[in-house]
Amino acid sequence: MAIAESCVDAVVMEMVAVYCGGLYAAKPELAARRIEAIGFQVGHQLSERYTMERPRFSDHLEAIKFICKDFWSELFKKQIDNLKTNHRGTFVLQDNRFRWLTRVSLDPYTENTDSTENDSAALGDTAAQTTTMLLYFPCGLIRGALTNLGIPCSVSADMSNLPACSFVVRIKT
Amino acid sequence: MIVCVAVVGHQNNPLYLQSFTEADDALKLHHIVHCSLDVIDERVNNPKRSAPTLNETFLGLLYPTENYKVYGYLTNTKVKFIMVTTDLDVKDADARNFFRKFHAAYVDAVSNPFHVPGKKIASRSFGARVSTIVKSFGSGITS
Repeated sequence: MAIAESCVDAVVMEMVAVYCGGLYAAKPELAARRIEAIGFQVGHQLSERYTMERPRFSDHLEAIKFICKDFWSELFKKQIDNLKTNHRGTFVLQDNRFRWLTRVSLDPYTENTDSTENDSAALGDTAAQTTTMLLYFPCGLIRGALTNLGIPCSVSADMSNLPACSFVVRIKT
Repeated sequence: MIVCVAVVGHQNNPLYLQSFTEADDALKLHHIVHCSLDVIDERVNNPKRSAPTLNETFLGLLYPTENYKVYGYLTNTKVKFIMVTTDLDVKDADARNFFRKFHAAYVDAVSNPFHVPGKKIASRSFGARVSTIVKSFGSGITS
């Protein structure tokens, strides 16, 4: 199982690297769209599989709960740690230890000591950019799964303190 | 004996439609499938039946005609499975079992990266698998 996990980690990182570095080096926003689209397709297919044995969802909250519990357990062997909602179509799913970010450890502030201000700022910038890129795939996963369950939405990610991160789901009405 | 099976997408677009009869009655069977979509809509939108069956994927007997019985199944992703059979005493458990296998076959078929969501399922292996499931349904009753 550990090997399979490392493989998935490696595939996700390599996919991001290929799209950002090779194919769309000049256009990061295009790379982001492509990565998100791959996630969308995967989420679309997985949601079909993981909802096979369960009764139909009666409302949006139930579907979101399914994403938080069962879908997340299948993917990351843990559930979402915190779910917040404003009851008007916005949900915030917080994962305190997001598996695909646990290997990412570039913290610009700890490397301040032996580099100049400018360098560390630039380093922090690219690190943040790379990490953001890593999150487009899981965003696509969530959006694909919810869309397949009949809930059109947009998903964005926020990573203020690694390896915790939160996904913001906005349901389109 | 099952004479026809169908998979219908969430916008009532046909994804897979296959009849299993020698005679030339495909059109009639497709018509029956078409009619059953309305029954499914009605079931889902006005659930006046008892609570436990409310959100179950298996919808049970949709409606009987003179020669056929039509069974339905609606997944979480609003994909409808329809089965038309000539058997007059079908056990619910058998129908349930059939749909579970049918659904599993469908899930595997749409997980194919070359399948375009919303388009007809063209996979030959899916067709072969469905045929096997359909055949085993008849034999399951006699054994």
